[in-house]
Amino acid sequence: MSRSYDRALTVFSPDGHLFQVDYALEAVRKGTCAVGVRGKDVVVLGVEKKSVLQLQDPRTIRKTAMIDDHVCLAFAGLTADARILIDKARIECQSHRLTVEDPVTVDYITRHIAGIQQRYTQSGGVRPFGISTLIIGFDANETRPRLYQTEPSGMYSAWKANAIGRSSKTVREFLEKNHKDDMTKDETIKLAIKSLLEVVQTGAKNIEIALMEGHGQVRNLELAEIEKFVEEITKEKEAEAERRRNRLAATAGAQASMS
Amino acid sequence: MSRRYDSRTTTFSPEGRLFQVEYAMEAISHAGTTVGILAKDGVVLAAEKKVTSKLLEQDQSSEKIFNLSDNIIAGVAGITADANSLVNYARNQAQKYLLAYDDDMPVEQLAQRLCDLKQGYTQYGGLRPFGVSILYAGFDDHHHFQLYHSDPSGNYSGWKATCIGNNNGTATSLLKQDYKDDIGIQEAMGLAAKVLSKTMDATSLDSEKLEFATITLDPRTKKPVGRVFKPNDIDRLLEKHGLAKPKDPEAAAAAATSAPAQGEAMAVDS
Amino acid sequence: MECSFGITGKGYTIIASDSNAARSIVKMKTDEDKQKVLSDHLVMTYSGESGDTLQFSEYIERNLRLYGIRNHVELRPRAAASWIRAQIADSLRTRNAYQVNLLLGGFDLPTSEPALYWVDYLGTLATVPFAAHGYGAFFALSTLDRYHRPDMSLEEGLDLLRRCINELKTRFIVDLGTFKVRVVDREGVREVKL
Repeated sequence: MSRSYDRALTVFSPDGHLFQVDYALEAVRKGTCAVGVRGKDVVVLGVEKKSVLQLQDPRTIRKTAMIDDHVCLAFAGLTADARILIDKARIECQSHRLTVEDPVTVDYITRHIAGIQQRYTQSGGVRPFGISTLIIGFDANETRPRLYQTEPSGMYSAWKANAIGRSSKTVREFLEKNHKDDMTKDETIKLAIKSLLEVVQTGAKNIEIALMEGHGQVRNLELAEIEKFVEEITKEKEAEAERRRNRLAATAGAQASMS
Repeated sequence: MSRRYDSRTTTFSPEGRLFQVEYAMEAISHAGTTVGILAKDGVVLAAEKKVTSKLLEQDQSSEKIFNLSDNIIAGVAGITADANSLVNYARNQAQKYLLAYDDDMPVEQLAQRLCDLKQGYTQYGGLRPFGVSILYAGFDDHHHFQLYHSDPSGNYSGWKATCIGNNNGTATSLLKQDYKDDIGIQEAMGLAAKVLSKTMDATSLDSEKLEFATITLDPRTKKPVGRVFKPNDIDRLLEKHGLAKPKDPEAAAAAATSAPAQGEAMAVDS
Repeated sequence: MECSFGITGKGYTIIASDSNAARSIVKMKTDEDKQKVLSDHLVMTYSGESGDTLQFSEYIERNLRLYGIRNHVELRPRAAASWIRAQIADSLRTRNAYQVNLLLGGFDLPTSEPALYWVDYLGTLATVPFAAHGYGAFFALSTLDRYHRPDMSLEEGLDLLRRCINELKTRFIVDLGTFKVRVVDREGVREVKL
C-alpha cells in the first residue's frame, strides 16, 4: 500500500468494474448540463450557466471553449480538469496544422481528446479526468455538421443530439422524443433551448448557446435572441396547456351530459 | 470504508468527489482572512496575520501578502509553507514571461498558470493538493485592474470584491452590501479595513495583526506600482478610518490636536 | 535578391514584399506571397534561405495562433516581436540556425499606435518608423529618410512606397517585379494593390 502511487489507481475490481472511472462519471453527473443538437446544416451547443454571483466578473466564467477556429467544446464536470484537457486539445490542433497544413477534422480531435482521457484511466498514479465533453464542428470543405461526445473512460461516440451533466438522462429522453432529421437553423436552436429548459428553471439568463453554421463560422447567441426563443417556447407550452384544459373540459362536459 | 477514498488525493469517492481537495478547502476556512477589493483606480488586498507570540519579529516579515511581479500582487490564505512555494513558482513564471515577451504577464495568465499547477496536484498520484487559496490583484493593458481568486482544486474566477479564509461568509455579505461599482482606491482601503475588523471580531485593529497592500498606477509614468504597506502606514490608515486601537489617553489627546499625517499611506490619493 | 519594406504612418503600418521565387539566377515564380498574417493586427514578411523561411514562419504562425486561442487575447506586436526575436536568437546558437530576415508590422490596440519591427537572422530587433530588408535597403532608405513623416496619411504612405519601388526600377540592375502590399490598422489586416 505504501508504494501505491507508482501503481495504477484505476484497477479492475473482482467483478470487472473500473471503479475510478465509474466515480468520475458521478463527478460528471454533478456538473452543469450541456446539450448538443445537430440540424441539417447547423450544429448548436447549449449550456446551463450558473448565475453569476453579485461580485463576480462574468468574463472569467467560460462553459464552452473554442479548440480551434472550427471546433467548439462544452464540458460537464470538474472545471479545472476541463481547462487542462482543453489546453492539450488546443496544442494538438495547432500542431496538426503545422505538420500537415490542414485543420483537424472533428473526428480526429475527438479521438485525440478521448485518447488522452483513456490514458488517464490506465497509466500509473493518475486519476481519470472528471469530465465528459460535447464537441461540435465542421470539417474543412464540408457542409455536414458534426457532434461528438467523450467520457472519462475514454469512450467517444457521434450523435444527432445528446446531453451531458446534471439531469442529462431527462434531457436525452426529451431529445430522443423531439429530434427530427434535417432541422432548420431556428428549429435546431429552439430544440437545444427547449431541452435545456427541462432542467434550467431560471430561463434565458442561465443559458448560453454557441451556434455553428459552417467551417469556422461560430458565434454565441446574444441574450435577447435566446430570450426570444424562450418566449416562443413558453407561449407554445401555454397554448398546449390551454388546449389540454379545453379538451379535458370538453370530455368532462360530454361525460356530464351522458350521465 | 470512507478511509479508502479520502486517504489518497487522487481518487474519486463513489459520489464523484475528491475528498482531499475538499479537506484542503476546509483547512483554508480556518486560516486568517484575506480580502481583495477591485476599485476603479486600483486594487486593495488586506490580510489578517495570526500573531502567535509576542517575541515574533514584526517589522519586515510579510507572510500573507507578496509582490509577484511589477504588475501583480497576491494575498494568500492557508498553509504558509505551501503558499511560499507557490509564490516562488509564480514569481518565476512571471519573470519567464517577461523574458520571453518583454512584457508584463497578463494577470489572468499568471492566475491560470498557478491553477494548472494546483490542478496537477489533484490528479497525479502521491501528491496532496496545495492547501492555499490565493487572491491575485494586478494590472495589464488588456483588462486593466483585475482581481482573481484561486482555490486548491485549481479553479479560478474574476471578482470585484472577494474574501478567503476564516469567516468569509460574514465578509462576503458585508462586501456585497457596501461595494459600489465606482468605488475609489481610498474608499476601498477603508472598506477592506472595516471588513477585517468585522471578521476578526475586534473593535480595534493595529498593524501587528494586519497586512495591507495596493496596486495602483503611478500618476507620472502610468505604470503599475505594487506597494506592501509598512506597519506605520497601516496604523495611519486605521486611524484615518477610525478603526485604530485607542492609545493611552495622553497620546490620544496629542493625536487629536495634531492634524492627520499626510504620509506614505496617502501617497495614492492625488 | 529579395526585398521588403515597412512604413508606419498615422494609425497604420504598410508592409510590402517582392513576389519572386528564385533559385540561383533563375526566376521560378512571380506570384509568391512572402508574408504571413499572424493575427488580426499583425503581419510578418520573411526573406532569406528559402526552406528556412517557410519552416520558421509556419512555426511562428502556429505558435501565435495557439497563444491567441489559449488566452482569449492576441499577443501585442511588441511582445510578439520580442518572442520571435528570441526564437531566432535561440536557433542561432545551434548547429543549423534559421537564416531568416523579418519585418513585423502591426497595430497595437491598447495604445492605438502602429508598430514596426526590423528583425534579422542574427537576432537583432529594432523598433523603427520605416524599414527595408535586402538590396532594396541600399536604394530606398535615403528616400525614406527624406520623405517619411510619422503623421502621413495612408495615401501619402502608399505614395512613399511607390517612390521607393520606382527608385529600384530606375537604379537597381534587377527587376523585382510586382510587390505584395498589406496594410494593418485598427480595422485589421487587408491587402492593397499599388
